[in-house]
Amino acid sequence: MTWVLWRQYRVTAAIAGAILAAFAVLLLVTGLQDAARWHAALVTCAKDGTCANLSHTVSLGGGPLNTLAVLTLAVPLVFGMFWGGPAVARERETGTMQFAWTQSVTRRHWLSVKVAWLLLAAAVFGGAVAGVVTWWYAPVNALHHGQFTPGYFDIQGIVPIGYAVFAVALGIAAGTLIGRSLPALAVTAGAFLAVRLVVAYVVRVHYLPAVTTVYSVTRNFIPQGAYWPLSQGVVLPGGQFSTSLIAAPGVIQGFGTVPASCPASSSIQISTTLACMARLGYRSFATYQPGYRFWPFQFIETGIFVALAAALIAVTFLVVLRRDA
Amino acid sequence: MTGVIETDGLTKRYRRVTALSNCTISVPQGRISALVGENGAGKTTLLRLLAGLAAPTAGRVAVLGGWPRQDRAYLAEIGFLAQEIPLYQRLTAQEHIGFGAHLNPRWDGESVRARLAGLKVPLDRPAGTLSGGQRAQLALALTLAKRPALLLLDEPLAALDPLARRDFLAALAEAASVKGDGGLTVVLSSHLIADIERVCDHLILLARSRVQLCGDIETLLAQHRILTGPCKDTTAIARTHAIVQEDTTARQTTLLVKLNGPVIDPAWTVEEANLEEIVLGYMGQDDAGHSAGPGTARLSAVGGER
Repeated sequence: MTWVLWRQYRVTAAIAGAILAAFAVLLLVTGLQDAARWHAALVTCAKDGTCANLSHTVSLGGGPLNTLAVLTLAVPLVFGMFWGGPAVARERETGTMQFAWTQSVTRRHWLSVKVAWLLLAAAVFGGAVAGVVTWWYAPVNALHHGQFTPGYFDIQGIVPIGYAVFAVALGIAAGTLIGRSLPALAVTAGAFLAVRLVVAYVVRVHYLPAVTTVYSVTRNFIPQGAYWPLSQGVVLPGGQFSTSLIAAPGVIQGFGTVPASCPASSSIQISTTLACMARLGYRSFATYQPGYRFWPFQFIETGIFVALAAALIAVTFLVVLRRDA
Repeated sequence: MTGVIETDGLTKRYRRVTALSNCTISVPQGRISALVGENGAGKTTLLRLLAGLAAPTAGRVAVLGGWPRQDRAYLAEIGFLAQEIPLYQRLTAQEHIGFGAHLNPRWDGESVRARLAGLKVPLDRPAGTLSGGQRAQLALALTLAKRPALLLLDEPLAALDPLARRDFLAALAEAASVKGDGGLTVVLSSHLIADIERVCDHLILLARSRVQLCGDIETLLAQHRILTGPCKDTTAIARTHAIVQEDTTARQTTLLVKLNGPVIDPAWTVEEANLEEIVLGYMGQDDAGHSAGPGTARLSAVGGER
């Protein structure tokens, strides 16, 4: 069976390998340049003592290569549509399923080997892309601590492997249930995007309870490392959290909600207003996922997508073993 | 002795249509059985049920002594060729041979190469670029190379030219005889009665999703006669024999009957029926069964076949 699959997929594998290689070379070259600039900037800032505001003096990770790296968000979807979708559907469409299933090989074996290799390929290729992107982002992450933010979280670490495995499983299941490649591709695309968006923007934030830090309105507070900012605002004297007012040294957003007893206008120093608010019991708060949870979140999200993939594969097996060729 | 194929009340319904209804047949070992019937009569459905590609809605089917099942040893005994001649368009003949070699315990790749070389079918070109006839030859050769005990072929002759048909049927007859003493059993569906007569010794006739005839061709020929006579009253004949088909003109009446003893009435001229007459007779019958009455006869009207 493995030999058979290799014959069927070797062109696809070669194309994917070539694209991956080109992509890796591109990121490798620019990544090395970025890394060199980052180290040079570190050396310079250590000399002039300007390392605190390095993010204002050095620019890393911009330009078309950043766009390319962000576009790897779509890599799992491409695998799902073009590897997963036709895997079973195309054999049904062209009738080759009848050829394959009347050789001396059981449907279970046929499907097991096919699914296993496709998922493995998805994991390996998805992992390779994610590995290169993660490496490329290392200096950018060191500078901006942005890897926990949605969008950047999704192309680094191990989650892209989970996405790729899920997408291919989704494609295989959709193709098996629908029986035709083209509609299967469309359904795969739609379902993948829906699941990814819901998980990224609704579910992910709840993996672990967010941390809320309350601090004086006259102080600045920045959590350690690559935290994921969720919300900030002011704790009113009564204890309610309000996000319509943001108060920090030098910044007040939402002037309209500043207490009337504290003078606030463009002519009055912000620090005076903040001191007044502090006296009345106003405090600032920030809600966030701490940076040290980056990897726990990566593992949880990968686990979710692998579990979804397993469920889809189980459905695929049920259908293939029961439905007529 | 039970046959290689035994079915009992085999029925396959799809959402709206019944593709095969209450099909009970028996094919003894070593037969080359022709499966005939109009388009849509259920031939493909029956073959797919026998091959285990489809599961029946009702009834029982035993192939080589058991329910068609998913195990390697069983699958190795079944050779199946689908009507649409499915091949992997981008794989070459050579790769298809490798495909078979990797998936089958007994595999005679050499026979495929020899056959294709004889037919001048290139081994190194993608199947999608071969002509229809070449693809059919490749698919047939691959099916035979599996060396199964039962061959199920869905219209294997349709895509072949007359010369290729003759060669293929000869190869089939040879394969059946090589295995000798009741080895290879073949069921092949076809519309070409002349070709069937050349190699087949068994017939399964489906019409309107039902089995109309199933038996050895020799027996069927012996059982049926064409009766011609001026007499329009067929009740006397119908009393003893089964009238399959009745064709009445102003001057004479022609009957296809299934005999139940000799025809004694001298008013009738008795002739042997050939296979085509029997097949067409049963196809033209209505659902009422063997005793189509006057006015329902359509012997000359049966022209649905290619």
